[in-house]
Amino acid sequence: MELLILAVKAFIVLHVALGLGAVCTWIERKGSALIQDRVGANRAGAYWYPSNPLLWPIAPFIRIAGMLGIINTLLNDAVKALLKEDFVPEGTSVFMHALGPFMAALPVFLAYAVVPLAPDFTIFGYHVQAQLVRIDTGLLFILAMGSLAVYGVVFAGWTGNNKFSLLGALRASAQMISYELAMGIVFVTLIIGYGTLDLYAIVESQQDGWGINPLVHPTGWLSFIILFIVGMAETKRGPFDMPESESELVAGYFTEYSGMKFLLFWLGEFAEIALFALIISLFFFGGWHIPFVELPEGMWWAALVGHGVLMAKVLFFCVLQIVIRWSLPRFRYDQLMSLGWKGLLPLSLLNVMVTAAIHI
Amino acid sequence: MSLTFCIIFASACGVVLMRNPIHSALCLIVNLVAVAGIFAQLEAHFLAMVQIIVYAGAIMVLVVFVIMLLNAKQEEGSYSTWLIGLLAVVSGFIFVDMVGPLLSEGFPQSASATDPTVGTVEAIGRVLYTKYLFPFEAASILIMVGVVGALMLAKTDKGKQG
Amino acid sequence: MDPVSHYLILSALMFTIGAIGFVVRRNAIVAFMCIELMLNAVNVSFVALSRHVGGLDGEIAVFFVMVVAAAEAAIGLAIVISLFRTLRSVETSDAAGLRL
Repeated sequence: MELLILAVKAFIVLHVALGLGAVCTWIERKGSALIQDRVGANRAGAYWYPSNPLLWPIAPFIRIAGMLGIINTLLNDAVKALLKEDFVPEGTSVFMHALGPFMAALPVFLAYAVVPLAPDFTIFGYHVQAQLVRIDTGLLFILAMGSLAVYGVVFAGWTGNNKFSLLGALRASAQMISYELAMGIVFVTLIIGYGTLDLYAIVESQQDGWGINPLVHPTGWLSFIILFIVGMAETKRGPFDMPESESELVAGYFTEYSGMKFLLFWLGEFAEIALFALIISLFFFGGWHIPFVELPEGMWWAALVGHGVLMAKVLFFCVLQIVIRWSLPRFRYDQLMSLGWKGLLPLSLLNVMVTAAIHI
Repeated sequence: MSLTFCIIFASACGVVLMRNPIHSALCLIVNLVAVAGIFAQLEAHFLAMVQIIVYAGAIMVLVVFVIMLLNAKQEEGSYSTWLIGLLAVVSGFIFVDMVGPLLSEGFPQSASATDPTVGTVEAIGRVLYTKYLFPFEAASILIMVGVVGALMLAKTDKGKQG
Repeated sequence: MDPVSHYLILSALMFTIGAIGFVVRRNAIVAFMCIELMLNAVNVSFVALSRHVGGLDGEIAVFFVMVVAAAEAAIGLAIVISLFRTLRSVETSDAAGLRL
């Protein structure tokens, strides 16, 4: 029974990650169209008038989904990627080339394993934790997985066997390593503030107050801003997309990838965006807590409501990241580096000192 | 014994046997992550995480970077057989010397304290900042010296004009 | 949890493999990786024994080994890079300028 619960939880957590990635893809497609005053994906499935009468009841819904571009992003793109030729550049190791996308996507999905998605609840007499594994070093686990994500980029760029890929990989890995420092130090602030590394305990400690932590926690706002910027840099998006700047490097480190491997990079990137939105809403915005509302403990419907609240917060931050990504121009590379090393790093160190002084 | 042991053994062999340095590095990454698994198995959760962050996430990234930048080629040519033979004898002797006492008399079983709170971050932090405060500070100086030394070694003279 | 002797045997195996690799391999970077392998072997036995005895001192020692390994990586790889600059090679057998 324990094993069954674990299997079901693993299935759900993986599909939450994949689902968030898919939703982010759709928001990106339609959102960028909206921002750029285009129509965006609206054709696939929009004119679906099946001849079989049995399909008529669902046809209008499919047509609406098609007009909104959902069919195009979630079905057509995936099928297209599956049917494409799997291209491997000449003179490179096939194994290493295949390893790149896996190493890029795997750590992100692994990091979801320690993230709590809803409050604990009891169902049919079983106490269920809505979290795949609850380890007391959850915060460090996320950091560890973030540091492993560099390999995918490096291998992908190197096995591309061309200069664009390699330059993209060098830019990406240097950027990820630089911003990881600031991320680690922000995590130190959080550890000092909450006094624990357990993600569930961190969320539960935000129960009092408004459920919006930065208002309670004096240095929380600064930590939040730093972590948000670092999140955008770690996902290599927004104004930080030098590694894949299409005007100079084609597509950066994944130039030489096609088909499903390319899609894996894409999915890993969007799952990472959702992961950062998730940890930001867990650390700073009360996770599944609703301001001024106290949900009963241990009820399954309360867990469901809590999960919905958490996902609403996550989607808000996903949309925020995507809006920023499509509205700001790209940094120059030296600006990017000086922001990381001269801006965010000293700022986060100062933040640690102030937080430590408060909590002494 | 367990799967983790097998992974560690196989990947350690891989580091030595692979001809291409990048494949060696890949084997070592697998090895380090598996060692982190051993740490977690021994309930040293903090060390397991630090192992992944520091070794797999920082040191090995640096190594992979250097391999790529220098474009190190595959090692060619064979090794002299008498050297290998000598090495086999010497290393076998060392190995038996290390393991032999364990096998013959068994490891003395002391009253093993399996206190669940021992490996936690809190416990390690407490010991690190009280009993081992001076070595901790010395270690930070060591890192500082390492960074400056690495910069001095690796920088080119072209930087002087700029 | 396996008995502590299993961990010690594993550690001895890793150390021996690392030592062989350090002597046999001529690529300086691979030799460096073999050193890391040996350090890790020591770490495994440190943690296993620390768990066996029931103290924290072994785990602290592992922490310091990691710190030293990080510093060593920075310096060692910088040396490899400057070696490559002067010799255009990372083979240890090519760096024989001081040999009599």
